[in-house]
Amino acid sequence: MHTQLTNLGVPNLICRLVSTNSSGAPVRGLRLELLRRIPFFAVGVAALALCVALSLAMGARPVPLSTVIGALFGDATGSDAVAVTGLRLPRTVIGLAIGAALGVAGAVAQGITRNPLASPTTLGINAGAGFAVVVAIFALHLTQPVEYVWFAFAGATGAALFAQALARRGGDLDPVRLALGGTVLQMVLLSWTAALMLISQRTLDEARFWLAGSMAGRPLDVLWPVLPMLVIGLVLAFAVSPALNALAIGDDSAQALGVPVSRIRLAGGIAVILLAGSAVAVAGPVAFIGLAAPHIVRALVGSDHRVLLPGCLVVGPLLLLAADVLGRLVIRPSELEVGIVTAFLGAPLLALLARKVAR
Amino acid sequence: MTDTLRTAPSAPALRKNPVTPARRTALLCAVAVVVLFVLATFSLTHSDIPMSVSVALRALVGSGDGGSVLVVQEFLAPRVAAGIVAGAGLGVAGSLLQRLFRNPLASPDVMGITGGASFGAVSLLAVGASQLLIPLGALAGGLLAALLLGVFAWRSGLSVTRLVLVGLAVQAGLAAAVNFMVVRFPAELAGSALQWTTGSLYGRTWTEVWAAAGATLVFLAVAFCLHRRLAVLDLGDESAGALGMNTSVVRLQLLVTAIVLASLAASVSGPVGFVALAVPHLVRFVAGPPTLGTLALTGLTGAVLLLASDLVVQHLLPVEGLPVGAVTATLGAPFLLALMIRQGRPVDRSTA
Repeated sequence: MHTQLTNLGVPNLICRLVSTNSSGAPVRGLRLELLRRIPFFAVGVAALALCVALSLAMGARPVPLSTVIGALFGDATGSDAVAVTGLRLPRTVIGLAIGAALGVAGAVAQGITRNPLASPTTLGINAGAGFAVVVAIFALHLTQPVEYVWFAFAGATGAALFAQALARRGGDLDPVRLALGGTVLQMVLLSWTAALMLISQRTLDEARFWLAGSMAGRPLDVLWPVLPMLVIGLVLAFAVSPALNALAIGDDSAQALGVPVSRIRLAGGIAVILLAGSAVAVAGPVAFIGLAAPHIVRALVGSDHRVLLPGCLVVGPLLLLAADVLGRLVIRPSELEVGIVTAFLGAPLLALLARKVAR
Repeated sequence: MTDTLRTAPSAPALRKNPVTPARRTALLCAVAVVVLFVLATFSLTHSDIPMSVSVALRALVGSGDGGSVLVVQEFLAPRVAAGIVAGAGLGVAGSLLQRLFRNPLASPDVMGITGGASFGAVSLLAVGASQLLIPLGALAGGLLAALLLGVFAWRSGLSVTRLVLVGLAVQAGLAAAVNFMVVRFPAELAGSALQWTTGSLYGRTWTEVWAAAGATLVFLAVAFCLHRRLAVLDLGDESAGALGMNTSVVRLQLLVTAIVLASLAASVSGPVGFVALAVPHLVRFVAGPPTLGTLALTGLTGAVLLLASDLVVQHLLPVEGLPVGAVTATLGAPFLLALMIRQGRPVDRSTA
């Protein structure tokens, strides 16, 4: 009872503060915000460029930057150049796309659920994709990541829709039920995945590498089929971003401000499914990028979604590429799957966040 | 009911009411014991070597021909005992955790305890330790998870939400470590590692079961002794504090008991999902608000459920070698989801 009262009280208070403060035109506010954030974005883009360069140059065989540049612009040949254009360039492009998708998906998921711990993983998206791919390998004898793409996307969509259907109450998503329902769904799907892999040794051998989440050995052909959905997801996410600010002050207050709350939440949910579903279809389940990117951006530039989303567009790929490069460096000449690196780095972060969030 | 209505405010009539639930709980306990006995007998008699009830029971106490004594005592009985020990431990641990956190979805699975157990078991598999040491690894892993949980979640006392959320984080990190080992292992080890991440009663021996059973009994006794404090804690932190109880200390005692019980269970059976989550709900559904009697009933029901699931795995399913954890998850999840859909928000335990 007490918690309910405070839950109602805080948004009301914030709403009152907001309504007294925001008498200025919102457009001018946005421009000012963006201007003030220019140094952040410049540093972010520079760091991202550095990561791209490292991702092209580092690996089992380090390639000097001059050769990398030569290979990219077509006048260098030899095995180093082939390694850069044939293997590392697709990998880096995929990393940029997937990182951006995961980062933005995380920001939108946190925005629509008003829950700082929401992420594509907690919505059951990764577990759904994993189960669908394992079933496909078991039943259809698939062997290539290219062939998994549509199964993964379908599984992710199915699981996310199911989790959202579970959390729907009175025509709107209940944030607590979304998180808990997603977790339960995830546990069941994981146990089925494990059971299937225990029955069939062949499935276990094929699936366990995909299930770790990796961008290694993926040709760009994996990315093209999901690219349209990824772009639609991004457009949708940016379209709802101003409304997410209104959602942040509470459903009732947002409703009173004339924001169509449940429609915004539906659109946001679709954007999350499109973005995170395409990401998992390409790279397998990569955890924590979607959780970490929005939090890092929020700590640096504040929680205005109109700035948060572009920030995640930079920080998401930055984190993913950095984790990928790290995975290539720690156990050379072999490499660690990027999904494992992000999970190891992300778990302490999640614990710290949880500590901060729940006082 | 009509009695109470007629003499509504008088004290004796009100005091008379709790007698019925208590009697019903005792009856349910008796039923659970009988069912448990039937299931255990069934699994002793319906193995690959079928034998009659009298032969099996006599073999259990060591008389009869040598062959059936060997089969029953060395192969069948440990598995049954492991199921009973793990089920009872998981049920009571889940019940304690749900009441501590006042959250119907709190359980060792969600908090990362069983994830820690599989991490411990798989790590020992990775370094090539003998099969006998692996349950010890599972126990240590569960306790490690609990320690991590404590380190991250302790900040001038234990808050409920923080514990649950940090538990999810611990679970995620340990699952990543297990995942890493599954990917890195050679194919045949990856299979047995996976077995330890889903939960299975296959191939238990007396050495493992005796140790776990003894320790489980001790901690079940502790849980029953602490029940009175748990009941006070159920009133809510403010009320319990006003009654002179140090809520953080009591919560820590209960938490440690629940964690040890869950880790012990996971050390015999692996992280069997949903038993700890579903059993307390089932018991509350049939026996009403929690008392000391329902705590006992919870343990018995957990044992019945796990034993029954193991029988389903062995006899009803056409596929060989399925882990019992997959069955409990499949049975438990729809139940839980239905529960979630029916009740909008977490149960407010202070009204129970």
